[in-house]
Amino acid sequence: MSPIIEIENLTHRFADGTVGLDGITLAIEAGAFVVVAGANGSGKTTLLYHLNGLLLPTSGRVRVAGASVQADPLRARLQVGMVFQDADSQIVGETVRDDVAFGPENLGLERAEIDRRVQEALAATGLTRLADKRPHLLSGGEKRRLAVAGVLAMRPRVIACDEPFSNLDYPGVRQVLDQILRLHRAGCTIVVTTHDLEKVLAHADRLVFMRAGRIEADGPPPALIARAERYGVRSPRAAHLGMEALSWLN
Amino acid sequence: MAQLTSFSYQAGASILHRVDVRMKLALVAAASLAGLRLDFTALGLMGAALLILASGGRRGLRIRPGECRWIALLLALVFAARALSTEGTPVFSLLGWEISREGLQEGARVSLRLALAFLLGAVLVGTTRSTEIRAGVQWYLKPLPFAAAARVGTMLGLLVRFIPVVFEEVSRVSDAQRARAVENRRNPVRRAVKLGVPVMSRIFERSNRLALAMEARCYSESRTPPELRAGARDWAVFALGCGWLAAMLAV
Repeated sequence: MSPIIEIENLTHRFADGTVGLDGITLAIEAGAFVVVAGANGSGKTTLLYHLNGLLLPTSGRVRVAGASVQADPLRARLQVGMVFQDADSQIVGETVRDDVAFGPENLGLERAEIDRRVQEALAATGLTRLADKRPHLLSGGEKRRLAVAGVLAMRPRVIACDEPFSNLDYPGVRQVLDQILRLHRAGCTIVVTTHDLEKVLAHADRLVFMRAGRIEADGPPPALIARAERYGVRSPRAAHLGMEALSWLN
Repeated sequence: MAQLTSFSYQAGASILHRVDVRMKLALVAAASLAGLRLDFTALGLMGAALLILASGGRRGLRIRPGECRWIALLLALVFAARALSTEGTPVFSLLGWEISREGLQEGARVSLRLALAFLLGAVLVGTTRSTEIRAGVQWYLKPLPFAAAARVGTMLGLLVRFIPVVFEEVSRVSDAQRARAVENRRNPVRRAVKLGVPVMSRIFERSNRLALAMEARCYSESRTPPELRAGARDWAVFALGCGWLAAMLAV
């Protein structure tokens, strides 16, 4: 399968001189489920921000679906939907329905098309009955699903989730994980950053470890999981017992 | 955020929720101006009528009195300032200050006007999505040659949308400081500084995260606007509103 995301020798240096990413090279195939893991400050979020042009490379290049992100960030944003770690900051609309409509409205679509997309995204995330509710009154899991719905309405090919399980209780984690898996089954490419492998690793087909802005290891999860703690990431309990990672949905 | 429902949009089905935003903006502007010339009775009637219209029905606007305490404090200060600074027939003396009948009347009148303006704003914001307010403002500014209608509309829409966010941040920082006994500090200026600096910092951080999230969803000024439709019901409400204002002014 051809890569939908191609990153070549990507380096990002922040204004204060800190190196966020240091020579990253990575290709992600369409339809893959990739987990990017690493300790805080390892560069996971910075890497994700380059996928849809929220940050641009200091050097190197990022291509999404064959097009340079730097040359056309808007095109990249249509291809890569970003679900941020803090769902509250991502919510813009006064009601759930308004928030989901925000992206399609930005695309200048016809009102009928916007309504159609909003209905579909709400149905896909199980939020239809909450459509007129104020987003800030939703539970943590519902807010995260709303963030996913907002991205889905833009019909991206890649969904990039930054720490999607942070600050969620057990039911919230299950809701969000179930949602991510549905999207993957529907054909979306999934990129998830986390420092908590336990919740998602059973479903990933590729694991990337980052440290200090570099990719330290990249491969199938069973081959790499034993090295997790070397990169400041707790390995799943099952791995300690010599078992394969277990799904939180079972 | 959950407690701050009076100062942000509340989905509902009252008549004011359903009226075209352009009519609402025009009526709010007219009522605010009329408020400058109304007497006590008319101001009271206006306020009551507004509350009844906004809260009518099963899904009407809910304004919680507890959330209005800071507004009440502001109104009390305005009343006191007017009462103390207006000369006239003395009614009583307080801590060496002569309080006049005219001062009390003037204080009450100005406070009532301010209360009405606040109520108009709260009802407008509570019954209208910020996207609609933005579209309405844009519609009014469009014919003006030098007004950047889209930009002004966007700024207003965002401003209205994020008033509750500012309240929320103030509430969070204030709670965190109370948990560390900030009340033991007697100096109000020092307390205000201790509150203001972290609040501003958090608001800027949050604004930055929000801007990133909006950018990630392709935000631009040329968005699909909400559909603005003015039907017979909207015109009827507008005519009734204008008639009511004219009657109040005549009284």
